Amino acid sequence: MKKDGILYTVVFSFIVTFLFVFLLALANEGTAGIVQRNQELARQKAILSAMAIPFRTDQEVNTLYKSIEIVKKDGVQLYKSSQGEKAIFAKEFSGSGLWGTITGIVSVDSEVSQIIGIQIVSHNETPGLGGRIADPWFKDQFRGLKVKNGKIHITFGAEAGSGKANKEEGVADGITGASRTSQSMDTILNGELGMLKKILGGSR
Amino acid sequence: MTAKDLKKISRENLWFNNPIFIQILGICSTLAVTNLLTNTLIMTLGVTFTAAFSNLTIAFMKEWIPRKVRMIVQVLIISFYVIIVDILLRAFLPEISKSLGPYVGLIITNCILMGRAEAFAQSNPPLPAFWDGLTSGFGYMWVLMVIAFVRELLGFGTLFGIPIAPSWFPQWTIMVMAPSAFFLVAILLWIAKNRMTGGKA
Repeated sequence: MKKDGILYTVVFSFIVTFLFVFLLALANEGTAGIVQRNQELARQKAILSAMAIPFRTDQEVNTLYKSIEIVKKDGVQLYKSSQGEKAIFAKEFSGSGLWGTITGIVSVDSEVSQIIGIQIVSHNETPGLGGRIADPWFKDQFRGLKVKNGKIHITFGAEAGSGKANKEEGVADGITGASRTSQSMDTILNGELGMLKKILGGSR
Repeated sequence: MTAKDLKKISRENLWFNNPIFIQILGICSTLAVTNLLTNTLIMTLGVTFTAAFSNLTIAFMKEWIPRKVRMIVQVLIISFYVIIVDILLRAFLPEISKSLGPYVGLIITNCILMGRAEAFAQSNPPLPAFWDGLTSGFGYMWVLMVIAFVRELLGFGTLFGIPIAPSWFPQWTIMVMAPSAFFLVAILLWIAKNRMTGGKA
């Protein structure tokens, strides 16, 4: 067969593509279980840390996660932990960031008067810029952040890093150089707080 | 192919024909991913792995690849290795995979890979091609690590995430953002060119 002939080219392309895609499918299938376990573990860890429940090993995550109740209110799935003095609630959230969907967990006390913590489960923000929403310094700002009039505020633009952050006033620092991501987080979290207030506020 | 030839290839790729300094390839990722050393290291390792193995595979197959579709086949092979890297990271290093986000997939578009496949692997035996891909990757890696070192140190006051700078040190926001990589690449280019030509450009 002529190497530059149409038939050879088509057959060759088909075989090569088939072979490599087949190998990829195999690799994907082979690791699917591990990837899924990783994701499930990451999700459980995110819920626990958002609720400020400390854990050390993966085993502990498993046992602690079992102590969390899953409650459904108004068709929304909430996680409830009654271990502390007061019950706290957590909810999964997702909203659009700059490049893609940001998903995570936000945890609040039962009056929605302060945030217990947030965790980011997945995002596609720019690594090193918006991607820093998953960094501890950013997330730690939300530990015990007071909710003022049902809202919080994340600074962005020239405001970010200007020292305006204040836990009592419900103001957290945005990320310098990632205004759009900071803005998105502000919108997403305020939306979630509004919804949580509606769900939890009505029941007591 | 002798040891001398291999040494020549590595000298070329690491310095005299460095992908960043001379070929000016792979600049997009240089701008985007070099503000943290850890991310830079993992990404450049991914590029090195892909460059080495895609070169090896292409050099093995080159006799059978019809000329008309050779570039498509090269891209196919490169994507294959990049997706393998992505799958491995997701399964075994989920944290890193998360922090690199879309950049792993974008290795496919790194011009160094196509450049080496077309310029070297297409016309050389498998082993030198593998070596060429590997050293090209390292040539790219060391330049990016230098840039990342400066950017992370001045931008965050840390190295590999470990705080280094004293607390009074003002963090340079510009170093965190992409434009600073332009300045740093330009300065490095200038220094490197100057050294190579001995000041008479």
